[in-house]
Amino acid sequence: MGIIGKRVAYYPGCSLEGASRAYDVSTRIVVKELGLELDYLEDYNCCGAMESKNVTFMGTMLLNARNMSLALKRGHKVIVAPCNGCSFSLQRAEYFLETDRKVFEKVNELLKEGDVDPLDEIPHTYHLLEWLYNEAGPQKVKERTVRPLKGLKVANYYGCLYTRPHFYSRTYAHAGGNGEERPRKRETADDDEHPFYMNELLEAAGAESVYFEPMHTQCCGGPHSLSDEDVSKKFVMMILQTAKRNGANIIATECPLCHASLEMYRYRLMLEGIEDVDVPAAYFTQLLGLAFGYSVDDVKLKDNLSDPIPVLRRLGIA
Amino acid sequence: MPIHERSLIESERVLRKERLVIDGIDVSGDWNLIILPRTVEDYDLDFAKEIMESPDGKTIQQCYQCSYCTASCPVHNYWDDRYNPRHFIYLARLGMVDELQKRVDVMWRCVSCHKCTHRCPKGVLVEDVLKVILRVMYKRGLIGDYPSKKFDQFFTESVLEYGRIEDGELLFGWMEKQGYKIKKDPILRKPIPFFSDIPRWLKDMVSKPIKEGNISFIMLNAKHMLFHPRTKEWNKFKQVLRRVMEEEGALAKGG
Ligand code: SF4
Ligand code: SF4
Repeated sequence: MGIIGKRVAYYPGCSLEGASRAYDVSTRIVVKELGLELDYLEDYNCCGAMESKNVTFMGTMLLNARNMSLALKRGHKVIVAPCNGCSFSLQRAEYFLETDRKVFEKVNELLKEGDVDPLDEIPHTYHLLEWLYNEAGPQKVKERTVRPLKGLKVANYYGCLYTRPHFYSRTYAHAGGNGEERPRKRETADDDEHPFYMNELLEAAGAESVYFEPMHTQCCGGPHSLSDEDVSKKFVMMILQTAKRNGANIIATECPLCHASLEMYRYRLMLEGIEDVDVPAAYFTQLLGLAFGYSVDDVKLKDNLSDPIPVLRRLGIA
Repeated sequence: MPIHERSLIESERVLRKERLVIDGIDVSGDWNLIILPRTVEDYDLDFAKEIMESPDGKTIQQCYQCSYCTASCPVHNYWDDRYNPRHFIYLARLGMVDELQKRVDVMWRCVSCHKCTHRCPKGVLVEDVLKVILRVMYKRGLIGDYPSKKFDQFFTESVLEYGRIEDGELLFGWMEKQGYKIKKDPILRKPIPFFSDIPRWLKDMVSKPIKEGNISFIMLNAKHMLFHPRTKEWNKFKQVLRRVMEEEGALAKGG
């Protein structure tokens, strides 16, 4: 434990400062309780998410390099992002900057032109969950828990990009064909096909995890949530029905995009009268916050469109 | 040996008689199957070259057609088996652009879940490569606007303008592009959800915090809708970004 660092740069991403503020607020609570520290990355820009990379390669490199540069300027070599999309984008840029000299040089040149400090090294990005697990871990969560999540049957939903692809986040093996191999094993990473960090953290807080494979890493429709309703609806239906039929009374999430997509399609599926889709969703940090003794308002549970409050009340957790 | 592409053989080219006797020998059924040959002349080898020029496309050359990507792909497995990443890579490398064009109705459906990239034993960045194929096709005018393209463009232009995105703008702006009538206030031209002609689920979604008196949530989102969040030190950087994107042909045509 303790390889990543206790004080890191915090890249919340656009979503966490808008509609998903519940994730931001609860993250800050959990981080404080676990004795860690996040240093807000002042004046960051959007990572380009899963959209910009489809229209521009260099553009997304620049967007992420600017954020990396801000982190270095504040003295950080580690960035933590709570969103699967943000951590993916930063890691993807990290991969290309590490493995392709030409990209690295070009990016630095362009940064200078745009009045941004060029990168003299490349900071590493970690997902919030990976950081919390490695720097605090289940033991610390257990110590802090004052209101165990007893009776809560959780389907732990990790989504796509927390574990995938390993090239960007774990190893640079077979790096893009420039003849140079730079394997880098990332010791802190979760298991890539059977992730368990969220399961263990919530179990440490007294919850019970239900069996949720393979839907725990099935896509929710992600970047196509708005542009491809048919596919997204089907994917979310599969996820929710598996959770419900495996006995979950709540879905724990760790990405604002997944969370929004699940909640939005859950409601639409319910309006259409589809069965077994009514499991509500909460960020794992909201659940940890409750376990640490915070109130429904503290962790902004009212913001959740799927309204998990009744379930939690019934179990005496909220 | 390449995997035999059944989908490249049109049904008209498959000749097979139920009953056939030649020189007294019964060759009924599969014994007499003939596939009329087809000469492919309109392949374009520059197509693959152009894909490889982009750093996110160059791993296309490492593909050995094992189909791990397709086997992992949820769009292939749960939506439409015509969506086949291995096949798209095969066609792109051979430069069979017209065959790719026949599949544009499914090609854009990739949800970027990265199962393909994650599992590819040859280190092909499959998801990236597929997006580059679409990008090059679009640039060459081989395909028009498809739904996710419009969204990507809309999203990216908002990032370029402000440095940050705003959920309300994305959601209502997108609904407007879909043909819903979004009512706007006369001065700032910002959407007013309640007087707009939007689907029931969206109306209910917006009214939940109001019904529950979740004031701080309403205030925060209203503030963002009125005053778009921005990155402060953005202007100089934005110019560079815009230029780079123009060079890549990434900005909307005419915009
Ligand atoms: S998994 Fe990789 S090598 Fe195999 S077909 Fe797909 S892209 Fe090609
Ligand atoms: S990223 Fe796209 S092509 Fe790859 S597995 Fe996912 S949906 Fe299929």
